[in-house]
Amino acid sequence: MKHNHNSETRFRTVCLIILLIFTVLCLAPFVLMFSASITEEDALIKDGYRFFPSQISFATYAFLWAKRETIGRSYLMSIIVTGLGTLTSVIITSMLAYPLARRDFKWRNAFAFIIFFTMMFNGGMTASYIIWTRYFHIKDTFWALLIPNLLMNGMNVLMVRNYYQSSIPDSILEAARVDGASEMMIYRRIILPLSTPVLITISLFTGMAYWNDWTNGLYYITNQKLFTINVYLNNLMKNIQLLASQSSLTEGANLAGLDLPAVGARMAIAMIAVLPVMLIFPFIQGQLIKGVVIGGVKG
Amino acid sequence: MRQAKGVRKGRGRINYLPLLLMMAPGLIYLIINNYLPIFGITIAFKQLDYTKGILGSPWVGLKNFEFLFKTKDAFIMIRNTLCYNLVFIFVGLVLNLAIAIMMTEIGRLKIAKFIQPAICFPAMVSIIIVAYLVYAFLSSDGFINNSVLKGNEISWYQSPQYWPVILTIVNFWKNTGYGAIIYIASIAGIDKSLYEAAKLDGATKMQQIFKITLPIIRPMIILMLLMSIGRIFSSDFGLFLQVPMDSGVLYPVTQTIDTYVYRSLMVLNNVGMSSAASTFQSVLGFILVLGSNLLVRKFDSESALF
Repeated sequence: MKHNHNSETRFRTVCLIILLIFTVLCLAPFVLMFSASITEEDALIKDGYRFFPSQISFATYAFLWAKRETIGRSYLMSIIVTGLGTLTSVIITSMLAYPLARRDFKWRNAFAFIIFFTMMFNGGMTASYIIWTRYFHIKDTFWALLIPNLLMNGMNVLMVRNYYQSSIPDSILEAARVDGASEMMIYRRIILPLSTPVLITISLFTGMAYWNDWTNGLYYITNQKLFTINVYLNNLMKNIQLLASQSSLTEGANLAGLDLPAVGARMAIAMIAVLPVMLIFPFIQGQLIKGVVIGGVKG
Repeated sequence: MRQAKGVRKGRGRINYLPLLLMMAPGLIYLIINNYLPIFGITIAFKQLDYTKGILGSPWVGLKNFEFLFKTKDAFIMIRNTLCYNLVFIFVGLVLNLAIAIMMTEIGRLKIAKFIQPAICFPAMVSIIIVAYLVYAFLSSDGFINNSVLKGNEISWYQSPQYWPVILTIVNFWKNTGYGAIIYIASIAGIDKSLYEAAKLDGATKMQQIFKITLPIIRPMIILMLLMSIGRIFSSDFGLFLQVPMDSGVLYPVTQTIDTYVYRSLMVLNNVGMSSAASTFQSVLGFILVLGSNLLVRKFDSESALF
């Protein structure tokens, strides 16, 4: 018995050690990035990126402040797109999900299939791109950041529908209808308030997707004024690569006009792009995990 | 049946119009965002002429596909997509399960409350940020070249031979903690008395894992495996485009179907090739999803999608 107990403790200790090492590995790159962002530029070029800065300087963050017109604009764009996108998404998702949960809605299975089918088959990126750009002329508009792919997805709709079906009793709706409430009133006064948990879950997933998105920017945006922070970072990296490939040729000089931020400053920009995720994540991770479990099991 | 209908009609109170109006925005979005591109698949069988539009462009049958499969690119991108996915799926499964079992083991310790979000965090940041992080390690003034190799510099972004390993590490770094969640949840659902009984019989920890935990969560494992096999022709676009910094030298080991579709459409401006590759991916993906779901239904009809 005692032996058994010992071996259990040993096993637990081994698990703990491995997990602690894994945790350090997961977080270390962020430490390196932060450290690079507060290292003096000369030291950074001389010693490279290090986990502990040899010479601390906050010049990079001062640089970001000086560049607030471009960087700040991208940041603001990310906030607007994320906020507006998430809000719209939650509204249209739940409005689509509610009738599907109504047992007395005759066509609900047909509509559910229409939604479900989009989860299994898609036309691919090329067709999407041509339709959005040639028929809806979305290129270089604000809508390109908001609408393609991200605004609503079938999985969220079905998740919300399942929630309505399992947690909102028909009798409440029946009672409201007897009292003469209209469908819209039932939806706004009863359904929305009762479904806050699932709506919070899908808004977290959607918000995360909007904040982290760069593909819509990659495909549809060339106008710097419309860059979100991730699109800005992507573009910056592209210019750096361009510069690197050109400077190996002899004509590097004419690219000087690109005005690229220094090595440390790039990391500072990346740092402020993850900052909101870093700050919010500890508070929302419980909700997200619940969402993953529900979504993973059925969908 | 008829009676039920009669009753409903008799009450005659349900007016579908408000319900349909509520659904309208979402349905319109699905039609534009999802169904139009499905019909847009015809582009792959046409010689697209923008002035004539998709409908007006002439049909060319399978020409685009013929051209695509005559190139070396076709073999490379399909090989890469499949090989990376196989490693990601099977090694990933082992890692996810290992993390889930270890997390369950330390679940009652206070520190688990810190470890859990920390190991999930990499999955929460955009792949652009990940590319910057990798760059901080691998660039010419990166951590590896300056602090580890010290002088024996390797120009990572010019050396294809390392990238299968680098991309695999990055993938697992980003997804392992997050991927373990689903298994942590299913392990949490196992009846604790089973372990108590096993302990009384003198079962070791390893025996408990292999004789109790894994067999009980087997349906979940099979379900997750089949779902990922259904997606085996899709790749994480950002991982293969952004993390290697779009470096041309690396294409032989980093080109996947998704990056090919992007490059031929946006960089090379070759709609024919791009749409052929993209249609190939969608159609095979669809067949695999259907197939894997049929299998899921065989193993565990509760978990089947349809």
